[in-house]
Amino acid sequence: MATTADHFQGHVDDHHGHADHDHKPGFFARWFMSTNHKDIGTMYLIFAIFAGVIGGAVSGIMRAELMHPGIQYLGAVASFFGDDASDFNATLHMWNVLITAHGLIMVFFVVMPATIGGFGNWFIPLMIGAPDMAFPRMNNISFWLTFAGFCSLMMSAFVPGGLGNGAGTGWTVYAPLSTYGSTGPAVDFGIFALHLAGAGSIMGAINLITTIFNMRAPGMTIHKMPLFVWSVLVTAFLLLLALPVLAAAITMLITDRNFGTTFFDPAGGGDPVLYQHLFWFFGHPEVYIMILPAFGMVSQIISTFSKKPVFGYLGMAYAMVAIGVVGFIVWAHHMYTTGLSVNTKMYFTAATMVIAVPTGVKIFSWIATMWGGSLEFKSPMVWSLGFIFLFTVGGVTGVVLANGGVDDVLHDTYYVVAHFHYVLSLGAVTALFAGFYYWFPKMSGRMHSEFLAHVHFWIFFIGVNLIFFPMHFLGLQGMPRRYPDYAEAYTHWNQVATVGYMIMAVSIVIWFINILYAFTAGKRAEGNYWGEGATTLEWTLSSPPPFHQFETLPVIEDAGHH
Amino acid sequence: MKSGLNLRAASRALKAFGLSAALVALPQVAFAAAASPMPAYSTPAAGAPGAQAPVAADKGAGAVEAAGNPLNTSGPTADAAAPGYTPMKPTPGIGMPVDGGIGLQKQFSPFGEYGRWIHDIVLIPLIAAITVFVLALLVWVAVRYNRRANPVASRTSHNTLLEVAWTLVPVLILVCIAVPSIDLIAKQYKPAPKSALTIKITGNQWFWSYGYPDNGDFEVNSYMLNLPGQPVINAGVREVGSKPWDGPSHMEVDNRLVVPAGEPIRLQITAADVIHSFAVPSLWFKLDAVPGRINEKVLFIEKPGVYYGQCSELCGVKHGYMPIAVEALPRAQYNAWVLGHPGGLIDGQKKLIDATAQAPAAGAGETAVPADNASEAVPAVETTSSPAA
Amino acid sequence: MNAKTLDGLGRNRRIALMALAVAAAMLGLGFASVPLYRLFCQATGFDGTTQRVTEDEAAQIKAVANTMSIRFDANVERGMPWQFKPLQRTDDITIGVRDMALFWAKNTSDHAITGTASFNVEPEQVGKYFNKIQCFCFTEQTLKPGEEVRMPVLYYVDPAILNDPDAKDVEQITLSYTFHPAINSGAKALDRTASGR
Repeated sequence: MATTADHFQGHVDDHHGHADHDHKPGFFARWFMSTNHKDIGTMYLIFAIFAGVIGGAVSGIMRAELMHPGIQYLGAVASFFGDDASDFNATLHMWNVLITAHGLIMVFFVVMPATIGGFGNWFIPLMIGAPDMAFPRMNNISFWLTFAGFCSLMMSAFVPGGLGNGAGTGWTVYAPLSTYGSTGPAVDFGIFALHLAGAGSIMGAINLITTIFNMRAPGMTIHKMPLFVWSVLVTAFLLLLALPVLAAAITMLITDRNFGTTFFDPAGGGDPVLYQHLFWFFGHPEVYIMILPAFGMVSQIISTFSKKPVFGYLGMAYAMVAIGVVGFIVWAHHMYTTGLSVNTKMYFTAATMVIAVPTGVKIFSWIATMWGGSLEFKSPMVWSLGFIFLFTVGGVTGVVLANGGVDDVLHDTYYVVAHFHYVLSLGAVTALFAGFYYWFPKMSGRMHSEFLAHVHFWIFFIGVNLIFFPMHFLGLQGMPRRYPDYAEAYTHWNQVATVGYMIMAVSIVIWFINILYAFTAGKRAEGNYWGEGATTLEWTLSSPPPFHQFETLPVIEDAGHH
Repeated sequence: MKSGLNLRAASRALKAFGLSAALVALPQVAFAAAASPMPAYSTPAAGAPGAQAPVAADKGAGAVEAAGNPLNTSGPTADAAAPGYTPMKPTPGIGMPVDGGIGLQKQFSPFGEYGRWIHDIVLIPLIAAITVFVLALLVWVAVRYNRRANPVASRTSHNTLLEVAWTLVPVLILVCIAVPSIDLIAKQYKPAPKSALTIKITGNQWFWSYGYPDNGDFEVNSYMLNLPGQPVINAGVREVGSKPWDGPSHMEVDNRLVVPAGEPIRLQITAADVIHSFAVPSLWFKLDAVPGRINEKVLFIEKPGVYYGQCSELCGVKHGYMPIAVEALPRAQYNAWVLGHPGGLIDGQKKLIDATAQAPAAGAGETAVPADNASEAVPAVETTSSPAA
Repeated sequence: MNAKTLDGLGRNRRIALMALAVAAAMLGLGFASVPLYRLFCQATGFDGTTQRVTEDEAAQIKAVANTMSIRFDANVERGMPWQFKPLQRTDDITIGVRDMALFWAKNTSDHAITGTASFNVEPEQVGKYFNKIQCFCFTEQTLKPGEEVRMPVLYYVDPAILNDPDAKDVEQITLSYTFHPAINSGAKALDRTASGR
């Protein structure tokens, strides 16, 4: 990467003069009708944190319930949502509502808003030297659609969804459980939530693509863009190609449910397995939508704290493109047990394993970036190192699951739960925390406590590993997912996992304390508080950046590294 | 292309395992196996008081349907049949999870042994090595290239040889994995021979129905046993632990899926309402039950025993409470179990084949269905007589 | 705002519209996937989809010496008050020669019910060789209260199956049907949601 801060210094000084007469709109106009990419990014981040607390609390209830065999707490939870506590079916239904809510919240209302909406909004314009997003008002609509989607999902918990309140279909909303298998409006509310969030994300993707293609500062060619910009660009294309397919599939679910169509109902010539094909045609790119921005952030951070340009910049960028492309042709590995034909299963086994190649390129390139560097273990770096390790663990179990014949015993067990939490909960979320500590002072203007950030990391690292590593054992021993109750033989590792959850929860408290500390006692952050390794354009601005930045566009000169 | 090559290479390489032999070897093996001593099998005391199968008092009989009555009755059912049959007592730790266990369950099918070999011998060492390698590199760069050890960073950002290497080496590793992996899939999909016993499995909210089309077409419903101290899950079903042969809670059922051991079985799986998944970890078996279609897969159980599994596709509120218990018996005991059911036939399949063999003329006649008949939309040929099976 | 910025806005709009067009195309593809998937299955036999042939097409098929065992399987969706079963469990047929199988159904309820059958064959790879000339599954079937019917399927197995390496191990083909209450038959008495007890 050839972009270095030195080349814009002059312009930035010039720019600070303008910042002084920045006028910010009043509170309501600023936060409810916002068209400023930084404000919208902040709103996305706060929203993601809020949704993350709810999604995390849901998983807390699940881990509490799973600490012992038998049903202990679900009845109380069910009665909170208006069910008859003595109705055992409603109690069990609540479990399915919890797993559904946890999945949907974490995917659509935590990781996506945080990576793409939050950090994407904040730093894509800053990193490419643009004054704002291409369509600031559409940006605002994207956020409020996402927010409305979340409200719709929350409402679904209070209306009937079959044998109890709430949508209990799993985040995959498989037909026919989601069609004639679940009466009542809860599933409709849940599907509508996906429509809203999906529409918001598609608008966000269009906005990001236009911004990145069209609004780069003079001299910022596509092959000089920081890798985070690359990652968000690839992600935006994945969103654009994958989300409409989900929208079509769940629209057909709605009409199957309410208007007598039979797209996925064998009674009318439909095929329930087709829904799974459509869902996973979206669903597999979706996991890359969640992880690619994490790749981008980690690349920035590793480069910054190694004081080195990213190793193999082009290989890194096109590895993400390759992951995005291959991500569209491997979907049926989520469907190995649906009765695929032998050739289909062999094809998807081989295609899925191919993904390991660009992923390996990324991991080795990160290590090569550090190789020969002058490493500084600030909190974002430590979180990024944690990310590389945890993502590797999640990646190699993915290679195990890619094998169609081996998946026969692991499919829909806790092994799968362990795998995708290692890449998403431990991978994407760890990268999110890395990005948070990397950019929080930039966004807020206040330094967090590095000590607390390190404590947060180590406790979180121990906690999540305790939660999810034993799940591999449970899966190998055959424990199926989405079970509120289990045979005594699964008790040991479930208890370990629940203890791990408690440890992880402590680390989240430390995180909040750290934020509180930053706002009350944190030092004011300089423009470039990470020093010489931080070379992208956002470090040329003050912390926080002015309300309107780059009114005079920075000019990127070829620094001659290529 | 690649997979084809892998497949050929694999089948050569893996002849040594002799795993394909298990499937090719047919009833001869079955009977030989039946004759040999079975460690997992406990002989029931004939006429012992425990021999009476559990009866659901409030539901009456009707558990077992004979040929002319194929409709599925809902409700827990009593395995009223099989006098003299006592369910097998499972061996602790066999065919079920073990507390604190960290690996795959012990396998009792040829694919299971092969699959477990792939997992334990090929995949685990490989992924462990990769993880340790990455961790070692991380530790090394942290130690060697931290700010104190290396104050001035290099500016190296390219090394073509290195980049080519870390692209190609993973490809080679993946090809090595793909060879046995693709081979396992190919073997799993080898269809059952014509003579294989066919058993029909239907997933219901929230129980399994097991049909025996080759044994007189009776059907058995299988419900999870209730849990002591928990709300009643299946009304009319006893609690787990109330009989000496009961296996683990959450996994034991009132009527097990009884199958013969040591011979290939053609399992055909469908669902009557939503999607379920029939899964038995110790038999390396998992196949979705999809409403409106059947899925088919071969099951070969090497030894008599009880093997537990659980529904593995979210199917509604009692998804966690519709386990699977497969009881594999030696052929002779299986036959006795079948004969205990009203309408139970041994080798009914064979009889049907004999019947069709006598009617080549009829077959020829059918081919000559008049064209005028055939050209119309299919008429539903009405009959007043009940079908005699 | 100078001319250059306006230029930029025009370019923005063009890129956004192109992106929107891509999204709309994917949305359309999502909906189109239902008929496309059906056509794909019918054309390739994917998912064990059987082929439907006309009398003329069937007449051109030449019989070969090999035989194939056919197994028949019948299911009824839960809650539908029909009995449905094959009248022969298995049948040995000559490949390329048409054969007829009979299924029997009875309406056990006190009202007329229209049913429609879904179907597939296993093993799946033989779907493209399993040809139906006539089938009760081509149309809806209405049974009066207590009525019993025999329903024929006229089919043959295409000799091309013998040249397919994927099908070389197939010794028995299962033809499976599941009857469902027809969605538009007004058979509202069948509460499909009333599963569970």
